Amino acid sequence: MSRSPYPPGANLNPAEHFRNTRRIIAEDPDWSLSIVPCLSDLCLQSIVGNFEENPIFEDLTPIHKDFVQERLSTALPLHVTANLISDGVYWKRCCEQRWDLCDITNYGNSWKRMFFERHMENIIELFIPDVTKPNRVEEMVPLCKNYIKRLDISQLLPPIKETQKEEEDEDEEEYGSESASDNEYIRPSTDHFDFNILLNQLTNLEELHLVYRVKQCGMNFEWNMFEMTDRDCESLAEAIKSCKTLKLLRLHQSHIEDNKCRLLVKYLLDHPSLRELDFSHNLIGDKGARAIGKLLTRSKLETLNMCDNNIRGPGAKAIAYALSMNSTLLSLNLRLNRLRDEGGQAIAKALLNNNTLLHLHLGGNEVTRPTAICLSKALVEKSTLKSINLSCNNLGVDGGRALEEALSNNTSLTECDVRLAEVDEQSASFINQVVRTNQSLQKRRTRENKTKETS
Amino acid sequence: MLQLGSQEVPVTFTQHTLNVEEVDKDPEGSSELSVMSEIQEANNGVSTQEGEEDPSMEVHEEFNKPQVEEEEETEKLIPPQRMIDLQRDLTTLVTNIQTAADAKESMRRTEVEEACRIRLERLENDVKSSQEIFEQITIGWSISQQKTIPQEIQEALNNQQQLCAALIEDKKKLINDLQQELKSGDDRYVKDLRKQAEELDLMMERMEEQITTLIKAYREELAQIERVHQQESEILLTRDETEWDKHLKNLCDEELERLAQRNEKVSEYEAVIHNLMLETTDKYCLIQTEQNTKFQIIDREQQKTKADNIILRINIIKQTDLVAVRKFSLTNMKSRIYSMETHIKNMVSKYSIERNKFNKKCRDLSKDYKRNILQYERIQKKIKHFAVADARTFEEMWLMMEAEVKQLAESVLVIDSQICKQHLGLAWQRPPMEFMELSGPVQPQKQVWRPGGQAVSQLFHTRQALQGSQRMMDLSVGPRLETDSTDMEMYKEGTAVQSVSGAEVHERKLPMETLKKVMELLCDEAGFLMEDTLLNLLAPLEKEEQTVVKLGSLLFAFGMEEEDVPKLAAFLLNYKHQQREQTEVRKDRDEMLAQNMFVLSQGESSNKEEEVETKSTTRVTSELIDPNYVVPALRTFLQQHVRSRESSACQHHSFQVEARDTSQDEAYWESMGNIISEDKMKLWDAAENTLKQYHAVMTDISELVPEIQSLKQQNTELRMLLQQSLNSKVSREVKKQ
Repeated sequence: MSRSPYPPGANLNPAEHFRNTRRIIAEDPDWSLSIVPCLSDLCLQSIVGNFEENPIFEDLTPIHKDFVQERLSTALPLHVTANLISDGVYWKRCCEQRWDLCDITNYGNSWKRMFFERHMENIIELFIPDVTKPNRVEEMVPLCKNYIKRLDISQLLPPIKETQKEEEDEDEEEYGSESASDNEYIRPSTDHFDFNILLNQLTNLEELHLVYRVKQCGMNFEWNMFEMTDRDCESLAEAIKSCKTLKLLRLHQSHIEDNKCRLLVKYLLDHPSLRELDFSHNLIGDKGARAIGKLLTRSKLETLNMCDNNIRGPGAKAIAYALSMNSTLLSLNLRLNRLRDEGGQAIAKALLNNNTLLHLHLGGNEVTRPTAICLSKALVEKSTLKSINLSCNNLGVDGGRALEEALSNNTSLTECDVRLAEVDEQSASFINQVVRTNQSLQKRRTRENKTKETS
Repeated sequence: MLQLGSQEVPVTFTQHTLNVEEVDKDPEGSSELSVMSEIQEANNGVSTQEGEEDPSMEVHEEFNKPQVEEEEETEKLIPPQRMIDLQRDLTTLVTNIQTAADAKESMRRTEVEEACRIRLERLENDVKSSQEIFEQITIGWSISQQKTIPQEIQEALNNQQQLCAALIEDKKKLINDLQQELKSGDDRYVKDLRKQAEELDLMMERMEEQITTLIKAYREELAQIERVHQQESEILLTRDETEWDKHLKNLCDEELERLAQRNEKVSEYEAVIHNLMLETTDKYCLIQTEQNTKFQIIDREQQKTKADNIILRINIIKQTDLVAVRKFSLTNMKSRIYSMETHIKNMVSKYSIERNKFNKKCRDLSKDYKRNILQYERIQKKIKHFAVADARTFEEMWLMMEAEVKQLAESVLVIDSQICKQHLGLAWQRPPMEFMELSGPVQPQKQVWRPGGQAVSQLFHTRQALQGSQRMMDLSVGPRLETDSTDMEMYKEGTAVQSVSGAEVHERKLPMETLKKVMELLCDEAGFLMEDTLLNLLAPLEKEEQTVVKLGSLLFAFGMEEEDVPKLAAFLLNYKHQQREQTEVRKDRDEMLAQNMFVLSQGESSNKEEEVETKSTTRVTSELIDPNYVVPALRTFLQQHVRSRESSACQHHSFQVEARDTSQDEAYWESMGNIISEDKMKLWDAAENTLKQYHAVMTDISELVPEIQSLKQQNTELRMLLQQSLNSKVSREVKKQ
């Protein structure tokens, strides 16, 4: 600020220039009005300095708000700032101070949402049952419930059970040995964090991503670190039922078996807002698949992802039955299951009675020729399906031919994956060609629609 | 035990593989599979985005240049197609790995399932075979129990032992196999992991490649599009410019032509206009002159009418003004009347109030007056009372003082007698002391105011006293003379007063005629006192009236009242007579002195006086006063009048308390003091001197007396001493002898 108050071009005749410009107190040649801070700035500085005791923000003008936001300390307690300061520079600063990577596009372009979501995720991920006090979470709820739309929880810590684990756990989280010794005799109240205290209060929550696992466990590996127990399942199911705004539930890699799946589905039945369900990378078998089928009939699910489970023919039949009755499902992913021809045929037949499904993934299901023939029938009769994935199956040459024939009359399918399906190269290339033409056709259609709309 | 262990193995195996995969992929934030799917989705998204972008671009271009031909469109459609192909190929390249991994996974699963199945079969077989062997062993045990011979038992036992060993061996073999399988499984898992890691690396590499190639392609495409655009725009620009130039040239030419035409037309029109102007000016002049004359006539008429109108209007205005003024004055008057009426009312009310006030005041004042009169009477009573008291005290004081003086006189007389008798050896006679018999204060006024008889008796009384004193010592001649003189004075005064009172008595008797005459005289004589103007004014009046007016003014000038007029007249008439009478009185006094010696009677004198009075009155009637005496007479009268007024005031006061005349008191007291005469005083002085001398001699003698005594004592002492010495001498002589 101690720069010369005169522009550099005025150095040619300094004395004269002095006389021209210096009208106030001539004693100090470095004196400049620009050095003197504005009273408003001083006021704002004091507001910033005393923000914790006396938070004034709402009454300020937008310009002053920006000023304050840029200068507020990020260490201010959240109960002061959470509901007072709107989304903006302040939260950006908070986020950037805490995390290196900040991709705002994943959070609806809201720094505040990003901050609170990640803050809450952090709290939950470091929550140790019976050690961390649940009011730590409860305190945060009223502050952040308006801003959290998505919770992506990548780990849930188990309670301390043995003295052996003490050391192991201390590497990651620090907690006392007393609680550990207590836990030797008393069974922990919960096996993981109990979502009941949280989910029913987050009024804006739409997405929940959950993984029952421990990150970076190192050599302390134990199987039960990567399992959702029955109690967890029950409490989680209740919690999800209480959360009426939830749209997306993603519960993957959590060792969900048939029983747990059935329990979860029991609570999810008739959920008012659930649209997307993802149980990928679990151990759901036929019974679980049957429960899922029941869920499909009694909910408005649009997307179902059951990839990498253990669903076989009977389970697939149940899902297929539900699919034939369903009118909301848009996408079904059954990748890496064990449907075989029994289930594949059932689903292909169900497609004949379905008018909504757009995407179907049957990759890696040991499906063979009969399924391909059935599917080709469905593709001929129905034109709703837009993408189908049959990769990693043993369709055989005949199956490929059947598909080729079916696609020759189809103009709606824009994706058809038959890689590694032992299909004849000719038919595969034909299929690809048809798909491409369909794609370009569809583009044209959309373009025409757009031009119509614009005109 | 073994069965359970063998059953668990595959399950754990698969789990293990799965979980290890996942754990390894954790640092990347998600499992390989999910990553792949996400990438796929992302790519799809990219492709779709591209697919959306391209048409929009085309649309944009179409909007910009609708006139561009179809060839260009086809040209432009080519690069997107190429891009789509590129995208598709690249994504297939990436997704190929995923599908391959899927295929491998599914293969692995089938293998695992197969291995599981084989393992289960083998385990079942093993269980069966071991069961058989177990049964054999149990049978062997029963056989061995039946046998009694030790060798046989030994044999049987060995046999059993072999069988058991075989069973254990089988089991061990199985366990070993399974462990080997496990090991190989572990190895395979590790291999799989490595493969997967490689695949992941490959995938990432490909993705990166894809991204770079795509970026490159997009850039190329962009450059191409830009180039095409530039070319198009340049072509368009040049075309437009040429067109523009052409149009400009055409326009300029046209403009020039038009200008020339316009110039020509302008010159033509100018000429025409000039001609027209000249014509119109001529016409205009003519018309103007005509119109001027018309206008003048019209003006004149108009002015006439105007004047008439103005006169009419003025008359009307005057009338209205008059009416207005009258109305105004009327209203003024009315208002004034109203105001006056109200004023009158106010005044009446004020008057009544004032009258009431005045009545009240009158009553108050009359009350005050009564009260004052009462107060005055009370004060008079008080005064009387005090006067009586004073008189009493005076008398007492007098008596006291007289007694004292008498005592003193007695003592003096005693001393005198002593001196005379003892010192001088003369015979002492008591001096005349007539007043010693008197007591109480002297009251000469009463004697004066008494009628003549009383006064005569008084005189007799005094005379008797005189006679008494005359009989006493010759020394008392002076006092007697004095008493005579006092008598004289008293007499004079008495006569004067009597004359006055006589005049007063006679004034009523004066007739109106004389009065009138006197007044006229007075008027004439004192005319100088009146003002000339008044005289002039009175001149035309009758004489009587004149005198009346004059008298009024004169009286006013003298400060007299009408009541005093007869008094004045009487005085004037008396004046001359009085003058004469005074001289007579003097004579009378001489006579009376003489008569005093001869003891005349008072009665005669009074008779004389009466006679005089009658004479004077007769004289007045017969003749008026001498006009020459009028003025001095007037003066004296005035003096008297003033005095009498004062005296009347005094008399009014002394009417109740008699005033004392202190003139005689002095003589009285002096007579007391003159008991011892001058000669006697001289005598006394001489006596005193002699006595003083005598006294001095006596004092000398008295002084000498003690000396004499001392000397006598000395003598006695000396005599004593002499006697003693004599005695001693004798004794000595005797002794000697």
